[in-house]
Amino acid sequence: MRLKPIGRQFAVSAIALAVSFGAHAVTDEDIMNDHNTVADVVSHGMGLQGQRYSSLDILNTDNVESLQPVWAFSFGSEKMRGQESQPLIKDGVMYITASYSRAYAIDARTGEEIWQYEARLPDGIMPCCDVINRGGALYDDLFIFATLDAKLVALNKDTGKVVWIKQVADYREGYSITAAPIIVKGKLITGVSGGEFGIVGKVEAYDPNTGDKLWTRPTVEGHMGYVYQDGEAIEYGISGGEAGKTWPGDMWKTGGAATWLGGTYDPETDSLFFGTGNPAPWNSHLRPGDNLFSSSRLAIDPDDGSIKWHFQTTPNDGWDYDGVNELISFEYEENGEVIKAAATADRNGFFYVLDRTDGSFIRGFPFVDEITWAEGLDDNGRPIFSDGGRPGNPVDAQGEKGEPVLAQPAFLGGKNWMPMAYNQETGLFYVPSNEWAMDIWNEPVSYKKGAAYLGAGFTIKPANEEYIGVLRAIDPKTGEEVWRHENRAPLWGGVMTTAGNLVFTGTPEGYLKAFDARTGEELYRFNTGSGVVGTPITWTMDGEQYVSVASGWGGAVPLWGGEVARVVKDFNQGGMLWTFKLPRDVADRDVASR
Amino acid sequence: MLLIRCFTALLLVMSTFANANELVLERAPERTYDIVIESGYLNVGVYRDFPPYSYEKDGKPVGVDIDIGKRIAEGLGVEFRIHWIIPDETLEDDLRNNVWKGHYLAKRRIADVMMRVPYDKQYAYMRDSTGEVINDQVVMFGPYHQEQWQIAYDPNDIDSVGTMAVFQYHPIGVEIDTLPETYLTSAFGGRLRDKTHHFANIGQAFQAMEAGEVSAVMGMRAEIDHELGIHSEHGFVAASNGFPGMGKQVWDVGMAVKHTHRQLGYAIEEIVDRMVREGEMAEIFERHGLRYSMPGFYEEILNDVDEDS
Repeated sequence: MRLKPIGRQFAVSAIALAVSFGAHAVTDEDIMNDHNTVADVVSHGMGLQGQRYSSLDILNTDNVESLQPVWAFSFGSEKMRGQESQPLIKDGVMYITASYSRAYAIDARTGEEIWQYEARLPDGIMPCCDVINRGGALYDDLFIFATLDAKLVALNKDTGKVVWIKQVADYREGYSITAAPIIVKGKLITGVSGGEFGIVGKVEAYDPNTGDKLWTRPTVEGHMGYVYQDGEAIEYGISGGEAGKTWPGDMWKTGGAATWLGGTYDPETDSLFFGTGNPAPWNSHLRPGDNLFSSSRLAIDPDDGSIKWHFQTTPNDGWDYDGVNELISFEYEENGEVIKAAATADRNGFFYVLDRTDGSFIRGFPFVDEITWAEGLDDNGRPIFSDGGRPGNPVDAQGEKGEPVLAQPAFLGGKNWMPMAYNQETGLFYVPSNEWAMDIWNEPVSYKKGAAYLGAGFTIKPANEEYIGVLRAIDPKTGEEVWRHENRAPLWGGVMTTAGNLVFTGTPEGYLKAFDARTGEELYRFNTGSGVVGTPITWTMDGEQYVSVASGWGGAVPLWGGEVARVVKDFNQGGMLWTFKLPRDVADRDVASR
Repeated sequence: MLLIRCFTALLLVMSTFANANELVLERAPERTYDIVIESGYLNVGVYRDFPPYSYEKDGKPVGVDIDIGKRIAEGLGVEFRIHWIIPDETLEDDLRNNVWKGHYLAKRRIADVMMRVPYDKQYAYMRDSTGEVINDQVVMFGPYHQEQWQIAYDPNDIDSVGTMAVFQYHPIGVEIDTLPETYLTSAFGGRLRDKTHHFANIGQAFQAMEAGEVSAVMGMRAEIDHELGIHSEHGFVAASNGFPGMGKQVWDVGMAVKHTHRQLGYAIEEIVDRMVREGEMAEIFERHGLRYSMPGFYEEILNDVDEDS
């Protein structure tokens, strides 16, 4: 039983009376069991482990062709530009965020808006990482999401009224937040985004009821972590023990490693899993060393923020291979033994299976067709760098363009932010991946803030003429690619899979697609009118199975262009939320014919 | 009287309507020379928090670029209005966000002219990997200043800075993500790397020198001169060493306008050109306690003139 201020308790009950459909509070138990409860989706990842797997099979390979749109909802205004959010569902109400730090509650039966909230962003804000938002969290009577100016906003989930707003980091120093926060054991957990302005990544916990900070854990070696008691910061150990072990000079002070994609949680090991971005500065020759904990996965204690273990995917990163991609907990049997594993598909092109109890490396293998920067992984999962695979030091070739180095995958990664899914029935991961390479060269002349500068030029290009995106079914036990589905444009949307032997994802061409989880056969497609870069969910309501996905082309791909621009330049932006269901009569007919 | 009131009301309605239209279009206004003159003001783009070029003091914009911007507005016979620029990762981004397209969060907020844009033909005509001219949406013109790198040091810590080698032994402060940072952490096989201390800006680096944390600071000459003035009681000294192995040691600084606003550019160029030639530009720098170098562009022209006569 958590204690609540009496005043708020009163306000909450007053509101509860006022709301006709009698919405209930979201509890810790609801969130912890989210992956087992098919009538709601109350966490990012459809369960804290982030498997994005539903045990629903009303909708399945036999009847998915009858999936029908039931309503669509416009996010409104000219603010389109990339809808990367995942909806949440509770008691017949859908909660979703949209680009430019907006949030909505929608009647899930009719598509009618209940409330809308638009964060007031400060003038002159320069978010590093586009204006997208990836979703929110439900807790108690609150809907909580983060904004481009690096604030957490808690709204009353029934009215949309602001309950509290807290600054996580200063946007003027280059911080932003686009990821969905998560709720773990009554704590609100968030990371931060940041560009090349000398920021330092961190993971923080807040009291979801009040917005009070509970602990902070920097993700660069040498920085002190804190826990907060009665508003007082108490030193709680330096990340990595001490400064300067894997960084030269004082570079750890501005080391980067932003935690921009949020994290997952595994209740069995009681660990938060957060990934970290690339180290700063971008030129790897300036910072010899592993540069911990950049481009890594961290297991963090949710109670106090201490780091339990780390696994670094790209030491001394020189290709912008952020290590932020989600680490998904799963189990498999080997020689009669249950292995508590976790898997991640990294920007750098390797798929890693780790022992999630201690972070040790079980196996790793390429999940893309070609990797140029490394020859492979050693016994500990550390990359074996290829000769000549690292971009040259611009200092060695000032004033000349220099020979470009071809690196594959491109900096946008074999897989970027878009979450993969794990199907407990098939035992396969469904990975939205891309086949592209980049040329990097030393920029002969470059300026920054009125001063001469030394930059690198790069261009991103498709690895094949016919396709960039590849949705892959990958067996984590063998590294085998069980099936693949190629897509002309790069895939940028999340994946969801079900016990109905289905895999759902969207394409920049605008389609929501469903595939047979075992064969990869495409069974369903629906054109949503703009590119799908959101992540689908599924749930049941009134005995019918629903699917929802946000549509609206945007995100990083159109920002970077390069030769990929040829493929995507004609895609129009958008801002719609689509909801589908399998009509009851079709489902009944299907059951009858079995 | 009634008539006037009606007329005022009509004007109000019309101007509200015009504003509404611009809002609906959500794009950068096309402010050509004629429109700038007619509107009675000039939006001058300058970097925010960037002493001694452009920054706020007691809530007012000050700095050499502000003074030059004011003289330009005066020369055009319009009001000077400030357009603060928050720097993005590269100059291309700044030009896009502030001169020709507008930032996607504030598409209608645009500068008529942007100050402190390096004047470099090679840069202006640079092409991307597909062969397109990268900065074809802007015109870079009107060099008014030549900038260079400079070190200041604390003579209590270092006797003299004969060569960069002393910074193998003495800590030196630098602004993050700048050419001096790259230089200090990579030149000479990285031998200065461990002594390089990183700061968010030159002002903080000087505070660290005052606190004895670093013995020297490297930055742009005007920044260093400015900080030497602020910290004059400490006896910090400007060094006269060279920077072997450093690519770009000096560069010209000018302005930029949108490529469709060349006429505005010509008018501004005329004003600034006179200021450079007649010494007013040097006076502005002097007034701020800064050394001034005429752009290399002028050195060539004026030398040619000398030879001709």
